[in-house]
Amino acid sequence: MLSTIDDAMLIKVATALGDEDAVKLIEHLKSVEEITDDEIANKTGIRLNIVRKILYKLYDHSLVSLRRTRDPKTGWFIFHWKLQPDQLEGFILSQKRRVLEKLTIRLEYEKNHDFYYCNTNGCKRIPFEEAVELVFHCPTCGKPLAHYANEKLVQKLSEKVEQLRKELGE
Amino acid sequence: MPKRNDLEQKALHFVMNTGSAGVLQSDLWRELGASSREGSRIAIKLEEKGLIRREKELQDGRWTYRLFPKRVPASIDSIVDCPCLLCQDNARCDPTTPISPTNCPKLTDWILSLGKENPAPLGDSTLAQGLGPR
Repeated sequence: MLSTIDDAMLIKVATALGDEDAVKLIEHLKSVEEITDDEIANKTGIRLNIVRKILYKLYDHSLVSLRRTRDPKTGWFIFHWKLQPDQLEGFILSQKRRVLEKLTIRLEYEKNHDFYYCNTNGCKRIPFEEAVELVFHCPTCGKPLAHYANEKLVQKLSEKVEQLRKELGE
Repeated sequence: MPKRNDLEQKALHFVMNTGSAGVLQSDLWRELGASSREGSRIAIKLEEKGLIRREKELQDGRWTYRLFPKRVPASIDSIVDCPCLLCQDNARCDPTTPISPTNCPKLTDWILSLGKENPAPLGDSTLAQGLGPR
């Protein structure tokens, strides 16, 4: 199947999924048809437990597939891993949908609530209903609460939601 | 000779990267190192698959086609730094639970850092700086 995703995007996803080890692992996986975790560890120099951790993470998102065979000598399972680049587009779209869902919930919450804040680092904003019960005093530091303008946040959030909707064609 | 499918894949990426300006079919096959016949066949194949659009165009007194991508390549850029992407608490994150997108400090910081060149550090620190009380 023809994919609209190029290698640069694959590397970006690898970076988002892990660190430089994940990038190294994906670059190696890309260059071979099928490989065992042991071989990856030997060839890339990444520790075997880290290799497995990254592979399981990729497997959770179907970005790699695995085939299991049994070692005739030891009877242990050997896992053969294969990159599935055609799943990348689906992965990106599903992650975008999930993020969009979260951001939409947040946007509605921000639009429907009035917030009060003591303007102290580390303290939380309090919605109006709760602030009334607290007689407009911060439950953490005790300072008086003042109205908190969230227009900028709502605006930035709306722009992001709109952008994601466009990208998803919704 | 490269396999037809490899060439199709390369051609598709080339057309995708040209964006709304499109690319002349003649430029495509030159770029791919293919013959005009191959280039034209690949373009037709991609059009049949619904991946590109071809529009006839007169170039230096010869008819050729301009190729436009039909789909924008999926990109993770817009959410790559979003804390929700691969968040450890994803399974427990819900508006009805203590871990919720409505009050997640990491999400707040990310939203406030949108549009800025350097993303803000994690924590609730940006609340006080980004938006002051009225």
